[in-house]
Amino acid sequence: MSPGRGLDWLNLFVGNIQTGFGPFIAVYLTTRGWTQTSIGLALSLGTITAMISQIPAGALVDAISNKTSVVLFSILAFSISALLFAVQPVPLAVYVAEVIHSFSSCTLGPAIAAISLTIAGPAMLGLRFGRNARFASIGNGIGAALMGACGYYVSERAVFFLTAALTLPALVPLLPLARLDYGGVPAGTHDNSPTRREFPGRLLRDRALLTFAVCVMLFTLGNAAMLPLVGNALTKTVGGEANLVIAACIVLPQLVVAVISPSIGRLAEDKGRRLVLLLGFCTLPIRGLLFAVVTDPILVVLIQVLDGIAAACLGVLVPLVTSDIAGRSGHFNLSLGFIGFAMGIGATLSTSLTGWVGDRYGHPIAFASLAAIGLAATMLVWGAMPETRTTRRLPAQKR
Amino acid sequence: MGFASRTRGYALGVGATASLLMIAPGVSLAATGARETPTVLLTQGDTPTPAGAPPSSTTPKAGPPAPKNLEPLAPDESTGVLGKKVVGPDGKDLGLVVDVIVATDGHPSAAVIDFGGFLGVGSRKIAVDWRLLRFAPGRPDWQVLLTLGRAEIQAAPEYKPDAATREMVGPPWEAPPSTAVHE
Repeated sequence: MSPGRGLDWLNLFVGNIQTGFGPFIAVYLTTRGWTQTSIGLALSLGTITAMISQIPAGALVDAISNKTSVVLFSILAFSISALLFAVQPVPLAVYVAEVIHSFSSCTLGPAIAAISLTIAGPAMLGLRFGRNARFASIGNGIGAALMGACGYYVSERAVFFLTAALTLPALVPLLPLARLDYGGVPAGTHDNSPTRREFPGRLLRDRALLTFAVCVMLFTLGNAAMLPLVGNALTKTVGGEANLVIAACIVLPQLVVAVISPSIGRLAEDKGRRLVLLLGFCTLPIRGLLFAVVTDPILVVLIQVLDGIAAACLGVLVPLVTSDIAGRSGHFNLSLGFIGFAMGIGATLSTSLTGWVGDRYGHPIAFASLAAIGLAATMLVWGAMPETRTTRRLPAQKR
Repeated sequence: MGFASRTRGYALGVGATASLLMIAPGVSLAATGARETPTVLLTQGDTPTPAGAPPSSTTPKAGPPAPKNLEPLAPDESTGVLGKKVVGPDGKDLGLVVDVIVATDGHPSAAVIDFGGFLGVGSRKIAVDWRLLRFAPGRPDWQVLLTLGRAEIQAAPEYKPDAATREMVGPPWEAPPSTAVHE
């Protein structure tokens, strides 16, 4: 297995495993007699851990030269976390599992991105992140199907044993990656020259990185609560078949991501990052406005194609733009953590904001507000985000 | 068969909730609005009501001397209801019991049921009158039967614990079930 193939499979299995830590936790704990208050507490603990560990975890990954070992330990931490849920979901075990899982997610994502930098090199990086997004999306889909069936036919608890079991095959693709030469540079550099590390504070004041962080924060603010709001609206308009329509609303964008992500990566290399960013961002105001006026379930599902386009663009562009800006600074993972932190803030605020507006003014106004935020994000990309593609100017012999 | 003896099943249900309220202060939170973490509830696992065990063993507030008026809570006749599966008259899964609303007299007035959604999206809670539920504890995988049609469930307003006005789906107009047990 070549390192590239190994990375494909790694993304697939990680997508697979991560599904197990999603919505199944709330259902599982409910069946174990947990109150909604305690479940909310446990999930908030996970969210808060993820928020505060994004940046430190990024710095940690920067400091460890062997990214494959970071992936190995992150996946093993997932196994422990899943087993803690499965074996005895007492509060302490669940809290520990949430913290372990949230922290490992913050080290795993950047580490995979850093391995991608090493494997692909600067010229092919867009394509590589495109493949990552494709396989992660396929993994998500397979994971959701497997675990959904497991929860339905076996038990909610079995989902977590399955999740723990699925961490084992995820270790196999690490074998071809273990021999990778990280060039002795303790960072995810795609430039093999051992550049001196910049002071991280200077990087986090970098105008392009800050602008990008604000852009993706605004995008997430407008995007994160959109699908839950669609689900909420559908339960009222469609009734009995709502779950079927909601399932289609989730699966269709996944398919779109799996199909178009590599092309999006190629487009970002050929035509530049700004164009692809604008393409992804502009789907958000359009989608919000369409949801505000359209209630026909078939059309609602079709509108979700826009969600898939946006998800593919963001999935490829977030690591790609970050590597453009910080790839050679020695602080790539720290910067990626910083962007992740910005997106986390956006997602958290999105849910509360949409809930408040939706309760007070109804669904159409809530969708329109999300569309307005999306428009602001798009305008910001248009007006302030510089083109970060540098590969054309880089000498080719670096490969 | 489990739901055949309806009045008996109902009486058992009340007993089950009473026991639940004793060992789980968190259940009444929705009604009182108190902010307290119901940690006691969390340790119950598969057997929410300890078989035959006196409630004092799980109630931290109980002092050292065991109360003299102990009564058995037979596991085949009573159990907790939080997290139990709810099925419709057609036997299909509807959702999970996530909360119990009690009135000032201490009797349960409504159950809050979470209708799952897909992967957590589109999940929706509604409150239904306690008298619409039928219970048959004793079997390892017993479920709560909700005697309500799909149309009525879909038409029900979403239950929000913090909302200013909260509504529950009451019993059907034409044939209200006997309320004798509440007296």
